[in-house]
Amino acid sequence: MFRKVLIANRGEIALRIISACKEMGIRTVAIYSEADRNSLHVRFADEAICIGPPRSADSYLNVPAVISAAEIADVDAIHPGYGLLSENANFAEVCRASNIKFIGPPPEVTRLMGEKEKARMSMKKAKVPILPGSEGVIQSEDEALDWARQIGYPVILKASAGGGGRGMRVVRNADELPNFFRAARTEAQNAFGNGDLYMEKFIERPRHIEFQILADEYGNVMSLGERECSIQRRHQKLIEEAPSLQVTPRMREEIGGTLKKCLETIGYVNAGTVEFLMDEDGKLYFIEMNTRIQVEHPVTEMVTGVDLVKAQFRIAAGEKLSEIITKPVEIRGHAIECRINAEHPEKFTPSAGKITAYNLPGGNGVRVDTAQYAEGVVPPYYDSLIAKLIVHGEDRTEAIARMERALSMFVVEGIHTTIQLHQRIFADEDFRVGAFDTKFMERFFEREKLRREVVQ
Amino acid sequence: MNVGQLQSLKDLIEFLKQQEVGEFELEQEGLKVHLSFAGQGSSASHVDLEQLSRLLRQSQGPTFTAGTVAPPAHLSHVSAGASTAPELAATGDEPGLHIIKSPIVGTFYEASAPGAEPYIKVGDNVESGQVVCIVEAMKLMNEIECDMAGEVVKRMVASGQPVEYGQPLFAIRPR
Repeated sequence: MFRKVLIANRGEIALRIISACKEMGIRTVAIYSEADRNSLHVRFADEAICIGPPRSADSYLNVPAVISAAEIADVDAIHPGYGLLSENANFAEVCRASNIKFIGPPPEVTRLMGEKEKARMSMKKAKVPILPGSEGVIQSEDEALDWARQIGYPVILKASAGGGGRGMRVVRNADELPNFFRAARTEAQNAFGNGDLYMEKFIERPRHIEFQILADEYGNVMSLGERECSIQRRHQKLIEEAPSLQVTPRMREEIGGTLKKCLETIGYVNAGTVEFLMDEDGKLYFIEMNTRIQVEHPVTEMVTGVDLVKAQFRIAAGEKLSEIITKPVEIRGHAIECRINAEHPEKFTPSAGKITAYNLPGGNGVRVDTAQYAEGVVPPYYDSLIAKLIVHGEDRTEAIARMERALSMFVVEGIHTTIQLHQRIFADEDFRVGAFDTKFMERFFEREKLRREVVQ
Repeated sequence: MNVGQLQSLKDLIEFLKQQEVGEFELEQEGLKVHLSFAGQGSSASHVDLEQLSRLLRQSQGPTFTAGTVAPPAHLSHVSAGASTAPELAATGDEPGLHIIKSPIVGTFYEASAPGAEPYIKVGDNVESGQVVCIVEAMKLMNEIECDMAGEVVKRMVASGQPVEYGQPLFAIRPR
């Protein structure tokens, strides 16, 4: 096992990793920017090194500074956490060149998964279902009609060079296709100077479902089941749970088996997450793979009993999966996580500042991952996540009741947080029965607006 | 704030601009001033990654040649910009001393090679822009320049010692 590890991150995940190290008897080195001098990851690490000014680009994202800190502290591994340098293949390469073990997959794999089209093709080759779509650029209306017939309506036309909704059209039948095709091409041409279009199946109300996997350095891959992450606002996840109500044990086993084969072929190593969209009929389509520990990893830990961060260390130290996870993984009970952000609950503007009062909920089945404290300051330079409130219950009903109880005991004063927003979501009927998809928050805000208007 | 104070503040700002100071903080009874000037970014982040990894592969162990990489012209600005109040106390004695701080995390060396003469010694008179030491980061020898002319009063770290970003290296009595 490693003797000493540098944690190239901040906030709750840095503290989460430090906790795992402490329990494993590994010495820890925190790095920090000048804005984080009084942070808990600095306080609780065995050593701490200031590596730069507040701006992430000059500190946490500054590869030479991070590596230099690792060298003067003489560590044998670096854990990147999530975000920041965690999916930067160059950083992993520099670590390798510096003889420091990077806790994560090899840079070649990270790079492959970072190129979305290549990742899609690798998955397709391994028989992982991907969203049906045209292969390459569509040259003409007739070709578009052919593809649409093969894929099945509704389909979406997208600009190859595109983004931001321009050059995009949802097509529901063959009659409207020619006009939409021409319009999208003109729009793409005007917006990006490139009129190339491709086509994908369009899912009206997708769910976001992801699978947690672990892989050792000897080609063994294991799936630890799924997480349901459909409660999102502008692609930012707010609430995650495991297991998903939509995934049957049989589906879990099938997808797990396919992913195992696929990732063994690719040569995946360490923890990773494979993201899928689920259509209205419960079919899953691969969208992308994240080659790091995820923010929402605790819900999987709660239902499987596997400590994912410790598993990451043990894999990186050369242990076999069969030594790390000795019993078959069972999904026990139900876990839910709420992301508590320092944000205004309606305007979603970041709310930096000093926390004047801070009471964490606790008790049976409640876990809080946080690096904040009373009198602590939320700096304006980094992301707004200040805590993750995680509950575990014997079923979803108990987990929901437990979360409502815990939210009511979570007190943060001095800054705005999303605690109230979570309380309102948990009171929502659709949420409670599990009738949701990635468009849930849009409808939720719409309903709230209507209700307010009725009251007035 | 009265008229006199306002004038002093204006003078202070002019002075700081001339010295190309990145950030400045002052606290007295009933008065707190925080100034930061644009364009005094860190240079350490601009190091070419490819070049770095290539160099890393090539150089096994410290080759110890001064001035291999990094644009030192920027470094001197950064050292001045990295001021944080608490560390000033580290000088202990004399007020008005100027502190040269490490602009990067790494290993401090007082000389260009083992056994060579130190760049500067206590009692020396230094010019602004003069190289005062080396901070090695990722096998790269970064020359650190003085950001103020004056007399070297104190060296705060030993050669070979690891230094953090913003750590005081020398105290200078300005001329």
